[in-house]
Amino acid sequence: MSGVTVGEGALRSICDRALQAVDGDQAEVVVIARNAALTRFANAAIHQNVVSREAELRVRVVRGTRVAMVTTDRLDDEGVRLVARDASDLAKITPENPTFGGLAGDRDLVPAPSAYVERTAEATPLDRARAAKQLCDAARGASLSAAGYVATNMQELAIANSLGVWAYSAATTSDAELAVLGDAGSGFAQRLSLDVRTLDIAGCAREAVDKAKAAQKPRDLAPGTYEVVLEPYAVRDLIAFLGSQLTGNAVEEGRSFVTGKLGQKVTGDVTLVDDPFDPKGLPRGFDLEGQPSQRLTLIERGVAKAVVYDSQTAYRTGQKNTGHALPPNPFQPAAPMHLRLEPGTKTREELIKESKRAVLITRFWYTRWVHQLRTIVTGMTRDGTFAIEDGEIAYPVKNFRFTQSYHDALGGTLGIGRDLSLLVPGEQFGLQVSSYRVPALRLGAFTFTGATQY
Amino acid sequence: MLGSVERDLAHRALDTARTRGATYADARFVRRAVEDVLVKNGHLQNVDRSDIFGFSVRAIADGAWGFAASPVLTADEADRVAALAVEVARASALTKREDARLAPVKPVTATYTTPVEIDPWTMRFDERLQPLLDADAAMRQAQPTLRTTRASYEIWREEKLFVSSEGADIAQTLYETGASIAAESVGNGEQQIRTYPGSGGRSQNTAGWEYALKWELAKNAPRLADEAVALLTAKQCPQDIRTSVILSSNQLMLQCHESCGHPIELDRALGTGAAFAGTSFLTPDRLGSFRFGSEHVNIAIDSTRTGGLGTFGYDDEGVPASEGWAVKDGVFVGYLMSRETAAALGKTSNGTMRADGWSRLPLIRMTNVSVMPGSAGTLEDLIADTDDGIYMDTNRSWSIDDKRLNFQFGTQLGWEIKNGKRTTMLRNPTYTGMTPEFWGSCDAVCSESEWVMWGTPNCGKGQPGQIGHTGHGAAPARFRNVRVGVVN
Ligand SMILES: [Zn+2]
Repeated sequence: MSGVTVGEGALRSICDRALQAVDGDQAEVVVIARNAALTRFANAAIHQNVVSREAELRVRVVRGTRVAMVTTDRLDDEGVRLVARDASDLAKITPENPTFGGLAGDRDLVPAPSAYVERTAEATPLDRARAAKQLCDAARGASLSAAGYVATNMQELAIANSLGVWAYSAATTSDAELAVLGDAGSGFAQRLSLDVRTLDIAGCAREAVDKAKAAQKPRDLAPGTYEVVLEPYAVRDLIAFLGSQLTGNAVEEGRSFVTGKLGQKVTGDVTLVDDPFDPKGLPRGFDLEGQPSQRLTLIERGVAKAVVYDSQTAYRTGQKNTGHALPPNPFQPAAPMHLRLEPGTKTREELIKESKRAVLITRFWYTRWVHQLRTIVTGMTRDGTFAIEDGEIAYPVKNFRFTQSYHDALGGTLGIGRDLSLLVPGEQFGLQVSSYRVPALRLGAFTFTGATQY
Repeated sequence: MLGSVERDLAHRALDTARTRGATYADARFVRRAVEDVLVKNGHLQNVDRSDIFGFSVRAIADGAWGFAASPVLTADEADRVAALAVEVARASALTKREDARLAPVKPVTATYTTPVEIDPWTMRFDERLQPLLDADAAMRQAQPTLRTTRASYEIWREEKLFVSSEGADIAQTLYETGASIAAESVGNGEQQIRTYPGSGGRSQNTAGWEYALKWELAKNAPRLADEAVALLTAKQCPQDIRTSVILSSNQLMLQCHESCGHPIELDRALGTGAAFAGTSFLTPDRLGSFRFGSEHVNIAIDSTRTGGLGTFGYDDEGVPASEGWAVKDGVFVGYLMSRETAAALGKTSNGTMRADGWSRLPLIRMTNVSVMPGSAGTLEDLIADTDDGIYMDTNRSWSIDDKRLNFQFGTQLGWEIKNGKRTTMLRNPTYTGMTPEFWGSCDAVCSESEWVMWGTPNCGKGQPGQIGHTGHGAAPARFRNVRVGVVN
């Protein structure tokens, strides 16, 4: 690898030095190194354009069942020594936590397909600006305005512990997001690729511009319960919310819709898997504790099959660790990070064609739990909502607020698209850990509880 | 407080940026120390400290913006980052439609430190931990059937240095403290939560440990536990009715954050977040004339008020803290501004640019955007003055559209009000509305004695994402003819 990465050897040496400097029974070291670049535009011009080199070195020290964690962004010798010392000192004064099960031991990792592309890691400000210009120009060509971003990222993850765990990965992503705005109505598209050379800027522009043109001058449609066709952007939201509940921690705390229902039917005829080895996703074969991530079928043809675990939740609840630990977060220690909703057989056009009277939704916005146990979520539609009549997109409609149980909505699955889109979470802070591959969906009933004037 | 080492590197970076062709540049050095502690179900579940230190350079070259950042604090890296910021700016110029312009600000040399009574960083760890252990135990003692109990705090210290090519040199040290407890119950096919003092996360202030003590977590724990369990069998909030609603102070604070604080961000109103956060119904043509709410609605923008999470000496463009109005007597009169967006309106900045640490670009962020007190007396006075309605307390769910008009909120609990009395507890209360109509239906705000400066340490904005810390003062207030109950 080139000078743009820290490299496996250097990261291993940092981890080793930190482990050696620790005073404790067990220790874990996690290093994240990133080069993050994002070129953001609005009103058809770049207005925020950022490049940052970022580092994070986290040391967790265990003494009996006393545990403490300290993080620095220094990777130099003195920084490594200080963070190891501070974590060791802190672990001496914390009280025992009898629910702590010790660090996870060394288990063989299954190699995942490479997620690193040199050309993406080496992308320049000019590369991103040119792509941004192409998106802006496409909108201007249709007398519409553009807003969005083009980003390239490289991240390295290294995890070591005193029980022999060692895991390293380098990954790249490039992605583009485009909203095209007219006086009355907007369209949206997103693309993501590991390789910046295959990032489909032209396709992104075409999709958002076409959608924005069709979305102008939306009509009123009364809120109520409708059949819907969801574009993959909207499906991603649905799958992300449900995925966050398919965890041992959510079951333990009694807030998961599958609590006490493993082996039972919880949705319609859909299959949801977590596949860390999917070569068309953002593959990574281990979790944030350096444990092998299992490929799991979470929902099989509507039946709840499994939830995911990190080491501590597995220990507390007497289950097997599935290798799905997130970066340390006591509120959400684990999650499926490579969700794929298995494809069906229909093209998007066929899903529309089979709908007599329905609403086509491009994406959801500002979705939040109303009631986790019942998976009730509220949010808005955005950037292209249309009435479908007799199998045709008839006219654009004004946006809705919905309040809907997501797993109930999947209960009425009428059709599944055959093409999967690779998407990432809408709101991202720092380390990129999750991706989704989802199709378009046709659902029998979705409840809109409010309307807007646009 | 950061000093000469960082100052020398900053000047070196600015020299490099100028040499490379920057017409404006600033350098920010930020060192942030944070400690997060969580007690869950009686045990210390998490102690997590971080000490993060780095710098960034923001530059204008060829009339366009560039930004670069690094955690490596060396002279060579200062040169590399400054040159990269200029290179990025030149790339930005590829789509330039007009040169970036900054409203003037007087460059100053200054320092500022948050006033604290008890510096949490000098306390022993067990002194900070004990109030959490006590509160967690008190919840479980009051209601042993609770599924999950949590008690947490965060302490924070941020030292920053801002140096600009215009001659500003500003060093600040900001302290924050926040704490909270939560009780979660499961049963009867329900799952319910109560948190205190704020919703979801913590309520946080720029203050020392005195702020954590002020809330008397252990004293409030039994009530919280009782409410969490009672909610499992409480009456379901009525569905799809219209009634009077009294919002608790901590719920009004979030209502203000979402439906006033975000739409008055001028970058947003000018369309710079159109693909992501969205735009704003408070467009510049509405400034000074648009009726945002009733005459009872007065919303201040104030970064000078002691304790607020948006309280500081200077923003991250070197603009001093200020006081002003967003909404006066119900009329929209003011934006949150940066130097660049203020220039677009022919105004000067009111100092609201803040970055999430060293690695992020400053953005317009809410400072302290507060609903100012009215004259309706205490909460009990306001309830006594209400014939029929629902009191809704502490946020559970929040959502608002991308122009900040159509909102829907849920709270953790509600109380029926009949003939001026709080009667029956309600579970799963929600209400929905359109921002100007809703604030237009406000007919009473409680008095100063009920007013609390809340702080939300979790406001997301920008791409790449940034977490902002914003302050909001609020007192309970009443709204008429509100649509209630949309859980289906
Ligand atoms: Zn916010």
